[in-house]
Amino acid sequence: MGQLEIEKISDTTFVLQMGPHHPATHGVLKLWCEFEGERVINIKPDVGYLHRGVEKLSESKTYPGAMTLTDRLDYISSMTNNIGYCLTVERLMGIEPPRRAKFIRTIVSEMTRLSSHLLWLATHALDIGAMTVFLYAFREREQILQFFEKICGARLTVSYPRIGGVRVDIEKNVLDEIDKFMDEMLRRVDEYETLLTENRIWLSRTKGVGQITAEEAVSLGLTGPALRGSGVYYDIRKLMPYDAYPEVEFEVPLGENGDTYDRYLCRIREMRQSALIVKQCIEKMPEGEVLSEKSPDIDIPHQGKRKIEAGDSLWSGFIAFSQEKHDLMPKGEIYSAIEAPKGELGFYIVSDGSGRPYRMRVRAPSFIHISAIPKLCEGHLLADVIAIIGTLDIVMGEADR
Amino acid sequence: MNNLLKKILFIDLIKGLLITFKTIFTTPVTIRYPKQKRPLEDGFRGRHAFVRDPETGKERCVACTKCAQVCPSQCIYIDYSINSETGARVLTKYEIDALRCIFCGYCEEVCPVNALVLTEFFEYASYTREDNYFNKEKLLSNWDEFIRQYEKTEYLNKFWHLPGIGRDRLPIGKREPKAVSKKEESQ
Repeated sequence: MGQLEIEKISDTTFVLQMGPHHPATHGVLKLWCEFEGERVINIKPDVGYLHRGVEKLSESKTYPGAMTLTDRLDYISSMTNNIGYCLTVERLMGIEPPRRAKFIRTIVSEMTRLSSHLLWLATHALDIGAMTVFLYAFREREQILQFFEKICGARLTVSYPRIGGVRVDIEKNVLDEIDKFMDEMLRRVDEYETLLTENRIWLSRTKGVGQITAEEAVSLGLTGPALRGSGVYYDIRKLMPYDAYPEVEFEVPLGENGDTYDRYLCRIREMRQSALIVKQCIEKMPEGEVLSEKSPDIDIPHQGKRKIEAGDSLWSGFIAFSQEKHDLMPKGEIYSAIEAPKGELGFYIVSDGSGRPYRMRVRAPSFIHISAIPKLCEGHLLADVIAIIGTLDIVMGEADR
Repeated sequence: MNNLLKKILFIDLIKGLLITFKTIFTTPVTIRYPKQKRPLEDGFRGRHAFVRDPETGKERCVACTKCAQVCPSQCIYIDYSINSETGARVLTKYEIDALRCIFCGYCEEVCPVNALVLTEFFEYASYTREDNYFNKEKLLSNWDEFIRQYEKTEYLNKFWHLPGIGRDRLPIGKREPKAVSKKEESQ
């Protein structure tokens, strides 16, 4: 079912409102679709149903407190959200986490990538009609979530990293278990591939669907596997390395045609690479502390203390306070991005020196990917719209924030 | 030619079906939840509780209000009075609104005397909202309820001693915390 040209547009078009509670739109995404027969003429995505004001809300929290809000952006890969936020604040403050913390962060963020891609594979295959992969992928995802529970005590909203490191160390036996699981994971990925990669139904549903050239993908601002499926080498883990990524070896899988099938292959290969990165990290794991000495305490105040002008002694009759405040944080603004499972997740933070971010802005990959839906769906059938929403890997918690 | 033969013989589908057929003989990973329960990992962030100190039989809280300060969802309310003789703070009111809590665990991490804990207990759904507003007595009874069904003899939460973090950073109470033993609890 390739991309076909629309022969003519007549008065026989009709409008279908898909969502916001359609099970295949992966959340509360509403699509205003204009069809002629069964072919898409025009699509307008409508977002904002899950808006919680995370960006505004974080202005009233301290820096460590605002980190717990970032869990709720992309709620299936909360580790990478936290790491992205912490990394931005670290770069603002100019501190560096200890080496062990860097490796732990790399392990957990790659495990998050696995769990996010597993959920994507499960729901994408389910939308297209392959029920078995859904059950198998959730079986493995459950194990990854159990590891998260062992590491930090929560399964979904982890709040595990801290500014300048991570909160608690991982025990040795948990690392061994993770290492063992990654061997199994590599076998499981082969299993998924046997079920789907050569399957004729899968091929006819995905090949040629939602094709996008490299130029168009770049100009639309796609990132992550959605861009790499078109053959563009853009991976922040390689181009602007953070954490322990410069110390591990991995490939960046690229597609050729930029259709749904290539994006599927990209993500599948990425899952293998993730498992290998975790194994390398466990092998090279250094000893030591997991929290930098310069990292701010969890209970930093909202505002810095005012300076006392009457010398250093408190007992000098009158104590005059100056208008100046001690700065808790360096002033300035910063943008830094990481490679989240969905694409480039960036945080832009403006600091005015107090313990709270003056402004926080999130560059969420899902939000930008939604803007590519009209382009990708042009001339496709209604059933392909579902496949395209699936292939972009959209999480509405992140798009609406 | 080879591809055509594969297509005619349904090799691609048969390969997949073999995997699903093999999976029939593996042990099921699902559990029948209300009857069968998965053991929780150490340090699971569940229902809040006040540790009942085995020596005094009371809570350990010293009303430093740090937990209320760090709580991102601001669900902890503390009130205290000052003992005029000793100058120490006396806890008069402590409330946690568990319906607002996001279970980040900052409160137990910041507590200097390890008074507050998020226990490995998660089945506390209720029919009324009032049941999930925990006051001081309810928090202590939460602890009793938790420690009764806890299997090991000693309880030491991961967020009490924070493994991997430099001891100099931590308050004295968190450097070498003692485990709360269960035996003394039941007496």
